[in-house]
Amino acid sequence: MIKRRARLTAAAILAATTIMLSGCSSSSSPTAESKGPADITFWGWAAGYDKSVALWNKTHPDIHVKYEAVTNGGAGGYDKMLTAAKAGNAPCLAQVGYETFSSFLAAGVLQDVSTYVEKDRAEFPNWVWNNVGVDGKAYGVPVDTAPMAMFYRTDLFTKAHIAVPKTWDEFAAAAAAVKAADPSSRIMNLPTDPYLYAGFAWQGGAPWFGVKGDSWSVSFDSPANRKVGDYWQGLFDKGLLTSYPAFDASLYSAWSKGTVWAEVGPVWSASLIRDNAAGSTGKWGVAPMPRWAGSDAVGNSGGSATAVMKDCAHPKEATEFAMWMSTNNDSVSNLIASAAILPASKSGLANSALDAPQAYYGGQRIYQLFRSESAKVNDGWVWGPIMSTSATSLGDGLGRIHTKKGTYQDALDGAQKSTVTALKSQGFSVS
Amino acid sequence: MTIPGGGPRSRGPPLPRTRSSSEKVTVSSVTSAVTNRRRRLRELRRAAPFVLPFLLLFVCVYLIPTGYSLEQSFFAVKRSGLGLTGSRTVFAGFDNYVQVFHDTDFLDSLGRVAFIGVIQVPLMLAIALVLALMLDSAAARGGRLFRVAYFVPYGLPGVIAGLVWSFLYAPSLSPVTRLLDSAGIHASFVSDAALPFSIANILTWAWTGYNTILMYAALQAVPQETMEAAALDGCTGWKAALLVKVPQIRPALLMTLVFSIIGTFQLYNEPATMKSVAPNLSSTYTPIMATLRSVSSNNFNYAATQSVVLGALICVLSVAVFRASAKRTDS
Repeated sequence: MIKRRARLTAAAILAATTIMLSGCSSSSSPTAESKGPADITFWGWAAGYDKSVALWNKTHPDIHVKYEAVTNGGAGGYDKMLTAAKAGNAPCLAQVGYETFSSFLAAGVLQDVSTYVEKDRAEFPNWVWNNVGVDGKAYGVPVDTAPMAMFYRTDLFTKAHIAVPKTWDEFAAAAAAVKAADPSSRIMNLPTDPYLYAGFAWQGGAPWFGVKGDSWSVSFDSPANRKVGDYWQGLFDKGLLTSYPAFDASLYSAWSKGTVWAEVGPVWSASLIRDNAAGSTGKWGVAPMPRWAGSDAVGNSGGSATAVMKDCAHPKEATEFAMWMSTNNDSVSNLIASAAILPASKSGLANSALDAPQAYYGGQRIYQLFRSESAKVNDGWVWGPIMSTSATSLGDGLGRIHTKKGTYQDALDGAQKSTVTALKSQGFSVS
Repeated sequence: MTIPGGGPRSRGPPLPRTRSSSEKVTVSSVTSAVTNRRRRLRELRRAAPFVLPFLLLFVCVYLIPTGYSLEQSFFAVKRSGLGLTGSRTVFAGFDNYVQVFHDTDFLDSLGRVAFIGVIQVPLMLAIALVLALMLDSAAARGGRLFRVAYFVPYGLPGVIAGLVWSFLYAPSLSPVTRLLDSAGIHASFVSDAALPFSIANILTWAWTGYNTILMYAALQAVPQETMEAAALDGCTGWKAALLVKVPQIRPALLMTLVFSIIGTFQLYNEPATMKSVAPNLSSTYTPIMATLRSVSSNNFNYAATQSVVLGALICVLSVAVFRASAKRTDS
């Protein structure tokens, strides 16, 4: 009986292989150089991208862009793109956040389009170009950036006579003052989301990665990172911060109720706070991110680019569209209105939509502040080639801080170790 | 990427398992081999339309992905320098397997699901058995209502259940925590120590009814005469239920046990959903979470290896349970 079953199994496996070779595999038809309009598929998830694509198609009959909405990158969109690239049916263009860009590069799924963007180099500052390629090469076109600032409850700060902190020392003093003014309130929530925390490291001149010749350097455990981590650990140990999970309803409710008075976050926190803390409409204001002594540098947390994928048959046309989407006045206006982005391009930043007063922020013209801060973002930040590993490891470590079973330093050390191990096992050079 | 044993879904409905039709053919020693073979061919031809659709799906979505994962697990992607100049896929032998057995994250995740399983599976099956016996007993009233009521949690997708329970567990939102607080008990459902129990609780809530129905269906098949005979011998009530009914539904009990073990090892939805209220829940909490993390890291070969190890482990465990139970029936 066993022998017969083994034979049956063998037959089944044989049949399986045959089917795999012939039937089950989806046939991907490579688009031949056609004479008609170039077809470009574009995967993204941000609101408003579809409208910009429609605008383009109306005015550019020769290059047809087909937009397909996918899940948000971090929530599975990137996995889908990587898997599609492996299977050979990836789109021509893809929305890729700066934090993931290097990982896509290292996965070998992107295409060098440096020659096509050369004429528009001046459109973006250097620190932005650094996020879409290494060694001065470009593999996509930047869309938006996310410089950080301090969102705070103007009403509560005024009532408690606490001055808006301009430096991190002043912020620590203000944190103590907030607790003294109202023992049930804290100045801010513990930053434990790895990508949000990256913005603080970015500002502090504490890069996690670097490129030295032909190898990566990993520096989660650098003295500069220790300094930034120790700062937040110090505030937490003194009981000056709340410890709600990042992006959780409990934090939103604390913002709304006024038990958390401020949030140092990127430009997209503006919509996050507005949409989730409706109870405090008109009571928030925005001030520049507190500075480290002796530096005027700002951090950035987020922003994305339109990446050109490796198998794209029309990279020139694809780049042309991507550049248009990031710089054309109508497209940028649409993106600002639909997704509240802060444009990365200089022509986009000149858009008058950014001058509009924001009702939720008491009529403050908050995007003017972000416009000027975006020029001060620290230049030396490089994202690593396996951010998914690094960020989950760091996130696991940061997630333990509120249980007092770990510290910022432990989290950074853990990220250092797992990143170096993973890099080496995948054959990258690490210096 | 597919995970042998059903992919990242926790505890789906059971796949119907058919016995291979050849087993049912009793071969008489006098029939010659030729007529025997002819008869088998005829039977096969008759059975084909019924078996083929299942077999085709089984091959396409189960055997091929499993084989592909197995193949992938013996390769590794190697890069050089910054990794921007492309990569090569090289044969890695058992390197990935060596790495899996040194991967503390993955081993810890196996330990966690084993711990959750040891606590939760016996408890859930015991509750399910009691409920099934009560439904089956002659004294039961409103049987249909209770059958549906027990089954309802199973109808709710795992993610939704996870979300709702997350709200009940979240330290600052939970009405339960607040109630306990006002009574002077400061408990957290999401501390490191409490997490396995919180997850086990969701599982028990969602799956007890499902198992109850499986057992109840088996109980319905116990012949009335057997129970009458038992009653004549003076065995009634709970005693009859435990000593006469339960041994007769052993196959159903075994099936629920094996499904539960498989389901626990494939745990994903509940902990993945709870992560939003429990940041201390590691991103490699369960084996499938750890495997998905490898996929996100673009390390498909390692993910394949993790899947194969998990699949093999589940396979060995299931066989072991069946074996152990078969021995006990024989003796």
